[in-house]
Amino acid sequence: MKLEWRLAALKNGFQDATAYRIEFVLEFLGAALVPAAIQWVLWYALFTIGGATEIAGMTHAELIHYTLVSILFTQIRGGDLDFELGEMIRSGQLSNYLLRPVGVVEFIFLRGLAPKLFIAGFCLALGLLLSFFTELSPFRLVASMGLALLGNIIYYQLSASLAAAAFVWEEAYSLLMVKNMVVNLLSGELIPLNLFPASLSWVWQSAPFYLFVFGPTQYALGRWSHEQFLTQLGIACLWLVVGSGLVRLTWGLGIRRYLSLGG
Amino acid sequence: MIAGGTSSGPVIQARNIRRVFRSSRKGEGLKGALKLLARPEYQEHVALKGVSFELEPGSFNGLIGANGAGKTTLLKILSGLIPPTSGEARVLGFEPFKRPVEFRRRISLVMGQKAQLWWDLPAIDAFDLLRAIYEIPLKDYRERLQLLSELLEVGRHLNTQIRRLSLGERMKMELIGAILHWPSVIFLDEPTIGLDVLAAQKLREFLRVFNEREKATIILTSHNMDDIERLCSRVLILRDGELIFDGAPNGLTQAGHSRLRVRLRETPSAEELSHVTAVPVTAIQVDEAEEGETKAIHFTVKQDRIVAILQALMQRFHIIDMGIEEQSLESVIHRLYVEGELRS
Repeated sequence: MKLEWRLAALKNGFQDATAYRIEFVLEFLGAALVPAAIQWVLWYALFTIGGATEIAGMTHAELIHYTLVSILFTQIRGGDLDFELGEMIRSGQLSNYLLRPVGVVEFIFLRGLAPKLFIAGFCLALGLLLSFFTELSPFRLVASMGLALLGNIIYYQLSASLAAAAFVWEEAYSLLMVKNMVVNLLSGELIPLNLFPASLSWVWQSAPFYLFVFGPTQYALGRWSHEQFLTQLGIACLWLVVGSGLVRLTWGLGIRRYLSLGG
Repeated sequence: MIAGGTSSGPVIQARNIRRVFRSSRKGEGLKGALKLLARPEYQEHVALKGVSFELEPGSFNGLIGANGAGKTTLLKILSGLIPPTSGEARVLGFEPFKRPVEFRRRISLVMGQKAQLWWDLPAIDAFDLLRAIYEIPLKDYRERLQLLSELLEVGRHLNTQIRRLSLGERMKMELIGAILHWPSVIFLDEPTIGLDVLAAQKLREFLRVFNEREKATIILTSHNMDDIERLCSRVLILRDGELIFDGAPNGLTQAGHSRLRVRLRETPSAEELSHVTAVPVTAIQVDEAEEGETKAIHFTVKQDRIVAILQALMQRFHIIDMGIEEQSLESVIHRLYVEGELRS
């Protein structure tokens, strides 16, 4: 495994993402605070206006804790790399990358991962700082961040596989938008997944999205045991294998239909 | 067949390459849009119709043709971006579309209309990434970068964001990025498009020096005949996906035809002139006359026929003025195209 170009791609991706400082900071803050604000309004409506004392076994304070800790992980998953891939396929810009002696899907991933790693470091430092004043365990925070980063890879693998639809349909924008909405809901970014009806819990459990935000938050808050965490880590590794296979399959088939338009 | 990675024999081989593109056809207006939703119709476009040729290592080759002739499609097939529908391409002994890493390390494609560097970063950052991708030793990288930036006179712009550079400077940076890894084969798709005369000249000179010094095989497509005449030892002309000429550019002009220009007191039609001189109408061009002048008539004919044509004209008309004009590559290509259009 050649390390030099991978490190260079990370460095280059970070330079590119931070070329415009204000844009970088605003994107980070906006994406972190908006889901948190939605949750805060929801809990306020239910507990303060609605007069509820407990929802799905969770008190107002526990839900607020969930909201605050989940912010640390919502920033790690995601990004718009899949939209970028879809547009590159559609416009023919992918040609620039196909001619380089590196894997195009991995190259784009590494460039996009760089700012996420920076944000992960920042969020982890923030979490560790908070752990001095709260009951949060530093060990659990570090392990949760590791799971969130694995989630980032799985998310990209699935997204890149969907973006490959652009090889066939030329435009994959709507497909990726639908995927984003599903992920927003099933990752635990908007609401804790234990608010789902028990009869529907199979919906979020059968997808890997809960490993992105809900899982790390649960473990960081001490609501998952170490054994549960290890089991989920194993499941994440299985999803990594599945994701890798999907990328190979979809891109292997798709690239044969690539038109390299333009130029 | 060439062994993978060796350079004995032809470095590029194209055998009967054919490429068909299929796309949906949209009818006019709302009805067309609804039909496309319900029952799309598809159309096929044959971009290349059985193109064959071989190119020698270290040669500088021009690929020319009108828009839509198939030049860029051919370059995309040879660089491995798209496969041919049928036929076979081999570059450096590799089948391009399989895109083995070793193949990608040894080729480069520059598209004048498509940026390959990252717009928001200075060129030096992009070059640094390319150094890592192609595993260029640091010493070689520094030497090459210095040489290339001196040749192209862009040293002072290396730390400027790409998007803040002028078109010419950007194109020069693209070129540096494309050849930093010292490729054995370079495909250049209209690299001088949009450049001013000075920038284009600089780029041309650079390509000439690079080809001579490094013996890289280059295929250049351009609408600028200056590029082709000054750089290429061989020219391939495509028309509607067919290779209609493959040879030296001076062969195209010398072994081709001369242009005989005459002015007559009379104003015969091209058909009448053809009848008198036995020159096909397609080889006769009657210019529009300036006010107060007679029309200039151009006969594009073989040199050994000029005397006979003049004798035939003198027997029937009064010649006021005559001369033989040097043929430019541009006029020859124009003629080849016009002949093709008339035939079809």
